[in-house]
Amino acid sequence: MLSRTARSLYRLGFLIERTENIARILDVNRRMSVEHEVFSELDVWSPILEITHNRQGFEARFGEICEASVVQLLLTDEENPYSVLACLRQTREIARSVRELISEEIWLHINLFYHEMERELTEGNLHTWGDFSERIHMFANAFLGLSYNTMVRGDAWQFMRLGTTLERARMTQRILQIKYHLLLPTADDVGSPLDLHQWQSLLRSVSGYEAYRRLYQAKIEPHRVYSLMLLNPGFPRSIHYSIREVSLALRELGMKNESQYTLYQEVERFLDDLRGGAASSEIIRLGLNKYLNGVSKRCARIDRMINIAFFDSITVTLTNDQSNRLTVQIPQQQQHLHSVSAVKQLNQ
Amino acid sequence: MFDTTDAAPFDESFDQSGKVRNAYAAAIAYFKRQGVDGVERMQQSADLSLLNQGVTFTVYSDARGTEKIFPFDLMPRMIAASEWSHIEAGIVQRVTAMNLFLEDIYHEQKILRNRIIPTSQILGSSLYCREMSGLTPVGGVHAHISGIDLIRNQSGEFMVLEDNLRCPSGVSYVVENRMVCSRVMPELLSSYRVRPVSQYPQMLYEALASFSASASPMVAVLTPGIYNSAYFEHAFLASQMGAELVEGQDLLVSDDVLYMKTTHGLKRVDVLYLRLDTDFIDPLVFRPDSMLGVPGLMHAYRSGNVVLANAPGNGVADDKALYAYSPEIIRYYLNEEPILPIVPTYLGSRPKDLKYMLDHLAELVVKPTDASGGYGIIVGSHASKAELAEFKLKLIAEPAHYIAQPIQQLSTHPSFLDQDGDKQFYSRHIDLRPFAVCSADGSVKVLSGGLTRVALKRGSLVVNSSQGGGSKDTWVLYPENSDLITGGNHA
Repeated sequence: MLSRTARSLYRLGFLIERTENIARILDVNRRMSVEHEVFSELDVWSPILEITHNRQGFEARFGEICEASVVQLLLTDEENPYSVLACLRQTREIARSVRELISEEIWLHINLFYHEMERELTEGNLHTWGDFSERIHMFANAFLGLSYNTMVRGDAWQFMRLGTTLERARMTQRILQIKYHLLLPTADDVGSPLDLHQWQSLLRSVSGYEAYRRLYQAKIEPHRVYSLMLLNPGFPRSIHYSIREVSLALRELGMKNESQYTLYQEVERFLDDLRGGAASSEIIRLGLNKYLNGVSKRCARIDRMINIAFFDSITVTLTNDQSNRLTVQIPQQQQHLHSVSAVKQLNQ
Repeated sequence: MFDTTDAAPFDESFDQSGKVRNAYAAAIAYFKRQGVDGVERMQQSADLSLLNQGVTFTVYSDARGTEKIFPFDLMPRMIAASEWSHIEAGIVQRVTAMNLFLEDIYHEQKILRNRIIPTSQILGSSLYCREMSGLTPVGGVHAHISGIDLIRNQSGEFMVLEDNLRCPSGVSYVVENRMVCSRVMPELLSSYRVRPVSQYPQMLYEALASFSASASPMVAVLTPGIYNSAYFEHAFLASQMGAELVEGQDLLVSDDVLYMKTTHGLKRVDVLYLRLDTDFIDPLVFRPDSMLGVPGLMHAYRSGNVVLANAPGNGVADDKALYAYSPEIIRYYLNEEPILPIVPTYLGSRPKDLKYMLDHLAELVVKPTDASGGYGIIVGSHASKAELAEFKLKLIAEPAHYIAQPIQQLSTHPSFLDQDGDKQFYSRHIDLRPFAVCSADGSVKVLSGGLTRVALKRGSLVVNSSQGGGSKDTWVLYPENSDLITGGNHA
């Protein structure tokens, strides 16, 4: 598969997952802000800006943090490249460029939703965002269902799966960090109704409340929430589950060169830590926030390695001595290029 | 339901006495049965299906890159078998001659030595591509894919209006329009015996593959990217042919071999179907600021390691000034009379013609020699006095830059439209672009169908999509069908 196309499919999976997650996070906060009257001193909107890395830009543009402006920034802002609207536009553009590789059903699904959204936007009907975020959930989940049911399990599907699952791991990590940023008014509030309410909302945002109750009954204990969201191998939004999906996708794609092999090893090591007891003891040793920062770094490293192993492995430069000849630099891929064995690497 | 006030002297569906022509009898009866409401519903369903399928083009003047569907006009255009065999033979002849011409002017230039065409016309043209001289493409074929624009004049005779030998577009609409017709008017389609068009991608693939020595060549389509107005077509053709759709950034040349970058390393490309102007394909040879091409591509081409379709440098042959010489070209290389005539053409570069142009501007269509898409055209009868005066100055300043033709009364065809709030079928001007592909053995195949473009604006003669044109499905009928109809008429 063309490297550019592979990257587009990876981005497609990533963007739809991200879109849905922004809608999820907003949903949780809306639930929290319903009780805003009762807990008036609680600032539920700042943490969102923290985890979506929007705080600085936000303050520059809107000043005071309030629900309406946060929602605008994250849902329909045209200047914010990570707003739901911007993500959907990009999604559609990418889908258009890889149309021949995704199923007809997926293309129609994306294209229809895009046109519907653009129409409502020009008509000024997108203000009722509760309904909008509900539709985003439907859109994203229908996308996943369609790709599960209509795509051949070839490279195209694996790259989409890679993008989806790695982004899911990163979002679950970010959602868990909300709790860290959401400081309780006083230390006495630990275990209070407010505290429990927050844990519940957090679980709901990853569709995990029911799963939690089934596993541990109604009593919410923080370490069990971590355990579910981080380490549970069967919970489809846990980091463990997501990273296992990443590993499976990579195995299916195969390892054709050294950088692809190192990438796979890196993912396997991460998975080993999540699978065994290493992660639990690390959480205790480092504290949750530090541990989550580590997870974030590992995911970022995997993302970088995927880019190098599959998308950016070849660079072309003009040589100096003969201005009409080119040099190709292909790290770790020479063994596959019998026909270009005479490639000169003058720039090294 | 059929308003023929704007009908040209030759209308496709109605003869001069207003009687329905044979081939159209069933279609017109069908639409009358549907009624205006029925036809409107069909139109909406056709438009929606095109939008949802993403059969759209990008409007350049719109900063947000708005996409529009190429307006689709419901009523199909019929071409009887006898008319078609004439068109087909004419196009095969023309494309064959043009390929011989291109091969000649990039090698021995016999046609110039024999003074059939003035040397300055070719060698002085900005479209003459010096990089191609002495280069022999496989089979001597330069125009692998061509689209020849035809019009029908006052007397119903088909004439060539323009050749497109660089990257003619529109063939995807031919295939898509048929799909839409089969969805919204299946009964009508099956009541006619219409030749299929869906085999075009196979036709194209087989022709392209014939130029490669490899048994299963890697064919790729080079697109400028999703912002190009014809992107839909590029993606459509690539996917239908099972070829890779590539952008310049996906390709690289190493040791004069063309490769594409894949997740598993480099893969060799044998045939590259260029949907990019020659100017942009290789920054080392042509425009150095092009980000769309592949550095080193021309070297790989010269070394014979990759087939480029169409060959670079074809622009010199579909230049509007050269068009005037095309009957001579056919006679010179094939020793045959042209089957399809051309429209009389005055060249600004000839002093006598220029004088005629300046004196008769109001009766002429004047076109710049090097532009396409209907840009820069002035239709004398539609221009104001001030516009004509202004244009005269331009013409005097750069006479060789323009050609002129008598205004042709393009034939008309009923089109379903909203005119002043009243919806029904109105007469609108149309043309026809059939597509031909040429194989390595020099044989030319014409797709039995073509893009019928409609000037949707009342009275307009400009059919280009960028100037408010739309398209129709074109039904080329099998012989039995029209024979039957004629037979029925006699009885």
